[in-house]
Amino acid sequence: MNYVIEIDNLTKSYGKNRGVVDVSLKVKEGDIFGFLGPNGAGKSTTIRSMMGFLRFNKGSIKILGMDSVRDREKILSEVGYMPSESWFYDSMKVSEVISYAADIRGKDCSKEAEKLCERLKVNTEKKIRELSYGNRKKVSIVCAMQHRPKLFIFDEPTGGLDPLMQRSFFELIGEYVDNGATCLLSTHVLTEVNKYCKSAAIMRDGRLTMLDSPSIDDDEFLKFYEDEVEA
Amino acid sequence: MNRIFIKELKMNSKMLLIWSLAVGGIGFACLLLYSSMEGEIRGMADAFSNMGMFSDAFGMSTLSIATIKGYFATEVGTVHGLGGSMFAALIAVGMLSKEEEHHTGEFLYSLPVSRRSIVLAKAICILAMIVLFSLICTGLYALGFVILGEELPVKEFTSYMAFQLVMNIEIAGICFALSSVFSKTMTGASLGLALIFYLYDLLGRVIPDLKKYLFIGPFSYANASDIFSGADLSVKALCFGGCITVICLVFAFIHYDRRDLAA
Repeated sequence: MNYVIEIDNLTKSYGKNRGVVDVSLKVKEGDIFGFLGPNGAGKSTTIRSMMGFLRFNKGSIKILGMDSVRDREKILSEVGYMPSESWFYDSMKVSEVISYAADIRGKDCSKEAEKLCERLKVNTEKKIRELSYGNRKKVSIVCAMQHRPKLFIFDEPTGGLDPLMQRSFFELIGEYVDNGATCLLSTHVLTEVNKYCKSAAIMRDGRLTMLDSPSIDDDEFLKFYEDEVEA
Repeated sequence: MNRIFIKELKMNSKMLLIWSLAVGGIGFACLLLYSSMEGEIRGMADAFSNMGMFSDAFGMSTLSIATIKGYFATEVGTVHGLGGSMFAALIAVGMLSKEEEHHTGEFLYSLPVSRRSIVLAKAICILAMIVLFSLICTGLYALGFVILGEELPVKEFTSYMAFQLVMNIEIAGICFALSSVFSKTMTGASLGLALIFYLYDLLGRVIPDLKKYLFIGPFSYANASDIFSGADLSVKALCFGGCITVICLVFAFIHYDRRDLAA
């Protein structure tokens, strides 16, 4: 079986503060993997370690069969990442940001970018500073998808998107996954996981628990959050 | 890497234009004032050259401000030295840290380019901006000489602008290293650093005990009155400055490559 993401015993701490502890995770090719957990549970730390933003203390991460530290640039050329907060250079136009990302990737993504902008109703002539939070998210989706990556990593992608755009977003994910891509979706929205994900895991207190099925009910889901608050 | 360099240059072009026209323009205006003040300056020149430590600090004990060379060195030299160093400090200190401060780092660092390439592109951009700043100021000062109808002291003028360029690169190098450490842009600290270097040079010229340590400060080898009065170049200061610049750049590359990036 081909695994697109293989994390073994990942441990990352911030000085004395806990980040994630002994996280092991495998995501199969073609999966839409739901990554759940309360705020501060360690989801973003895990994702940021995968992306090479953080240097972890222990463990190993393999993405698309490559080492996340040694082959960072090769991995990033095959990954489409959308952070939870979508920030770009204020003075640039949307079209400039999109072509800037494509240029750095060394790819002509103009056709795919045009298709995505049309589907997501992105006004490419506007300056970034003129965009609302939701519209910045849409630009981030275009930047993450325009090069048709093998792996998508989305960190709370639907916050700020209207329901119609949320539907378009998941339709797009479905289309890319049907064409061989894999998706890791970090979210707080249980319905997204139930509806779109094929497998899922939940993080709490920096530790990861694999779920038997992504279809968990509200009560079971909220129990993770309640326990976190009590702890 | 080219794309990052061009983007940075484009984004900083307004700042470059404002600073170079402001500093170069003030220097240019100072030069133009020379013809109208020439008579009065001549009367004051003797007094200025006999003001003890004050004259030493501003180089008026070695150069007469009644001459165009002396006037340029003391008046325009101060404006350019301070303005140039502040500009260099300002652009360098935010070059890396702004990505984290403005939360654009997650976009940039998710693209398939190594951190070292990003640091290199940004370092080259700083260098290009400092060179362009120097060229614009040089052009404006040279124009001032032409309008005044005074002969441009080519050798001293070229040396002065070249050493100021080297000095600004050193200050930028120090601030670039700071930028690699902090996730907030240390604007105040960078401007303060440029002023401290200037003050250190002033004090070093009047306090005997400090004189032997003058070479530590970047202003020591780029002092206008030293250059225009034909004093020997302080090779020790220049070498020290070169070492500091290299150390700071190497530090920025290594540290930035290894550190965790803030969200």
